[in-house]
Amino acid sequence: MSRTVRSGFYKRPTLWQRANDMHWMLLTTICLIAGIGVTMLYSVALGDFSSLAYTQLTRFGVSLCVMLGVALVHIRVWWQLSYPLYFIVLALLIAVEFIGVTRGGAQRWVDLGFMVLQPSELMKIALILALARFYHARDGLAARQYRQLIVPALMIAIPCALVVRQPDLGTTLLLAMGGVAILFVAGVRARLFAIAAVLTIIAIPVGLNFFMKDYQVERVMTFLNPERDPLGAGYHANQSMIALGSGGLTGKGLMQGTQTHLDFLPEKQTDFIFTALAEEFGFMGGVTLIGLYLLVLVYAYKIALSSRNHFGRLLAIGMATTLFLYVFINIAMVMGLAPVVGVPLPLVSYGGSAMLTVMVGLGFVMSVHLHRDVLMSRQGHVR
Amino acid sequence: MRTITAQDTPIAPGRTLRSVRSRIIFTVMLFGLAFAGLSVRVVDLGLSAEASAWSAARSGAADMLPARADIVDRNGTLLATDLKTISISANPQKVQHSGEAAQQLAQVLGGVDPAVLEHRLSSTSSFAWIKRKVTPEEQHAVNQLGIPGITFRDEIQRLYPQGSLTAHVVGYNSIDNEGLSGLERAFDEELRDRAADNEGPLRLALDMRVQHAMHEELGAAMRQFNAAGAAGIVMDARTSQVVALVSLPDFDPNDPGSAAADRQYMNRASQGVYEMGSTFKTYTMALALEHGVASMDDAYDATHPIQISRFTIRDDHPKARWLNLPEIFMYSSNIGTARIVADAGNGLQKDFMQTLGLLNRPDFELPETGTPMVPENWRNVQSMTVSYGYGIAVSGLQVANSIAALVNGGTLHRPTLLLNPDARDDISRQVISAETSEQVQALMRLVVEKGTGRNADAPGYLVGGKTGTAEKSTYGGYNRDALVTSFVAAFPIDDPQYVVFVMLDEPKGNESTYGFAGAGWTAAPIVRGLVPRIAPLLGVAPSKDDSHPMTRELVRMITPEVRS
Repeated sequence: MSRTVRSGFYKRPTLWQRANDMHWMLLTTICLIAGIGVTMLYSVALGDFSSLAYTQLTRFGVSLCVMLGVALVHIRVWWQLSYPLYFIVLALLIAVEFIGVTRGGAQRWVDLGFMVLQPSELMKIALILALARFYHARDGLAARQYRQLIVPALMIAIPCALVVRQPDLGTTLLLAMGGVAILFVAGVRARLFAIAAVLTIIAIPVGLNFFMKDYQVERVMTFLNPERDPLGAGYHANQSMIALGSGGLTGKGLMQGTQTHLDFLPEKQTDFIFTALAEEFGFMGGVTLIGLYLLVLVYAYKIALSSRNHFGRLLAIGMATTLFLYVFINIAMVMGLAPVVGVPLPLVSYGGSAMLTVMVGLGFVMSVHLHRDVLMSRQGHVR
Repeated sequence: MRTITAQDTPIAPGRTLRSVRSRIIFTVMLFGLAFAGLSVRVVDLGLSAEASAWSAARSGAADMLPARADIVDRNGTLLATDLKTISISANPQKVQHSGEAAQQLAQVLGGVDPAVLEHRLSSTSSFAWIKRKVTPEEQHAVNQLGIPGITFRDEIQRLYPQGSLTAHVVGYNSIDNEGLSGLERAFDEELRDRAADNEGPLRLALDMRVQHAMHEELGAAMRQFNAAGAAGIVMDARTSQVVALVSLPDFDPNDPGSAAADRQYMNRASQGVYEMGSTFKTYTMALALEHGVASMDDAYDATHPIQISRFTIRDDHPKARWLNLPEIFMYSSNIGTARIVADAGNGLQKDFMQTLGLLNRPDFELPETGTPMVPENWRNVQSMTVSYGYGIAVSGLQVANSIAALVNGGTLHRPTLLLNPDARDDISRQVISAETSEQVQALMRLVVEKGTGRNADAPGYLVGGKTGTAEKSTYGGYNRDALVTSFVAAFPIDDPQYVVFVMLDEPKGNESTYGFAGAGWTAAPIVRGLVPRIAPLLGVAPSKDDSHPMTRELVRMITPEVRS
């Protein structure tokens, strides 16, 4: 296999060489996780492959192609596209505000004529790209300067403000925390994060009273005390914990989960699919899946560390962080450790747009891997 | 505008990279920690479920033990009830010095073998019983020992306040409170359901005062005649509700394992089937009178014994003359009875027996209900022996129930131990006419006034009855010294309200009976002692009359005895 020489002159590899350099372990792990998802959907549909599992498998296939496509595009191209993409998506988000399609009580979609788009999903990718580009041009010393913080803060705050108005608390959290992670790795003063954490804790009651929708307040209150309303807002979390615990060590077996199949658990094929997994395969199954996600994260961070350009490093970190947040919020939610905010379990939950977002993000991670030896100047010149 | 400046250089390795690297590592550690937290929570939820399932199967057992409904008699007297008690168990894995612990435990607990205990305590399992259902004193003493790994758990102990008095009716449970015998077994599920639904106690037709009187009289007779066993039933003649049912010897249901001999568990009243002997002549008389085979003044030749195939039918007290029906019955003539049934025909006899429920296992609540032994071939010879109670073995319950039908005006009921039996189970039907029933009453009274049952004549109460003395069959014949004596009675005979059946297994004659062991000497006196005791309890007033009106007519038909 022809690998590029790590020192000396950089020689641009051919497309074929790049394809061969693919991070196969990362790819395999992703496929394993998606396989668990398809299996669980097969089980949730009580052995009917055609209803959920087949659709999910098709979506994964398409997403995999998109991911490989993203990975093979040269990293400099993405560097160049990052700001334009950010502004286009921001425009779409603003469009949602005025011409958005309302579904299920939330105004999140915009009808482009040929397809219905959820710009907030795209923003998860675009924000990370834009922030990575911003900090690519600023070294650690620059990042420490407070005035350098104004632009990235606005870059995060504007989409967050738009998304929380839709309303979509889960996505807002993902956007904000994904952005903050890049700020942290890029070298913003650590004490700022400590102050921000304290302020957040203080802000929660204020936010509850002035900025959140009634149902959001209800969710947070119920999270703090799930037994408050066991048949209402606490129902999901309670049923979920019952089902989770009932799996024991090795679970009840495929398609044997009583809580899941007797419909005690709503949204079992989407947000609460981890519960179905833990019920039918026990905590062995649950811990195995968490382990696989951790493996993906470790690969992503190793890729970030091995990248010789700052843009790629930050990009990988941002994407990995987004994936982590998806997994963490979802599993914490189904186990009653976080409020029910409607975040799917990436690659496993039934649904197309989250799958595509995560796979595109992983495509960027893979792209960083393939272009780890590209040296890029602050102005984006490749040497 | 893009110009290449000094800034247009790769990021300098050094401080920045180190900082980025350390921050990346910090982030990934934070995320790893978060995932570890999630995993711990998943495992914790799963383990707690495992643990709760385990404890539900083990320590929770006491909570899930079925509480059983009480059993009471017709007056509400408690016959069986639940009592909360304590059982001691151990987790051998936590017991450190099993030998020493076993010694200490055996000292304060009665009936525990230290060697067995040490073996249990040194096992690798996590559960072992030390002793179940202990007294509060024992619990206190064990608690004082302070041995680690010992646990106390609540259990339910079934208590039978009447002790052996109800042993064969109420029965008893296993240590895990599952019904093993008697009504506890028959109504195992019903008793649990009743307790669960709070439906109150299971109420029996039994009257403990009558049960006690029967128990006492039978016990006394058993001792007096050195009998191997005894049985007695008091039954409501008009409903077939069992008011008393006793089988001796018995046992203490509170400690069922204590019985020394298996025969103590045998229910001789409903389970044991016996050749009843002359009691069966009552059926033959009823058959003949009901079907017009013979009338009271018809006489039969009892001059000589009857030779039929390899049998010779003799009379115990041969009169060696022709006897009419009342004479045949009061003298208990086998020859006369055999001749009557010969006239009736064996088909008619078998049908009649069937109608009275003597040929099948009775439909009765107790699991300990015996199946009669019936001749395989019902030919003339069998027909003759059955007519006076040989060659057929039935239970005392069957005798009492069929005699109740013969004296109560002719209606046969299903025998029951329940005060309010399910109405759907009622199989009441007319088996003989009221006229025939009155004739049977008169004949039974005649036996007590003038015949073999004179020792049953209780003062003040018009008792009618029939003796039955049967030799026990052994290999190749009958044993003249091993008798089953019985007496079936009804009182007051002119309007029968209760049927009494008593039976002695292998009574021996003594000085007071001049060495005789027959039913007239051993079984009949029990009834004489019993009826005056139970009649007031059962609300039966003494009779003003001194005889049954029809019996007076029968007495006139009897040829006076020539005193020798």
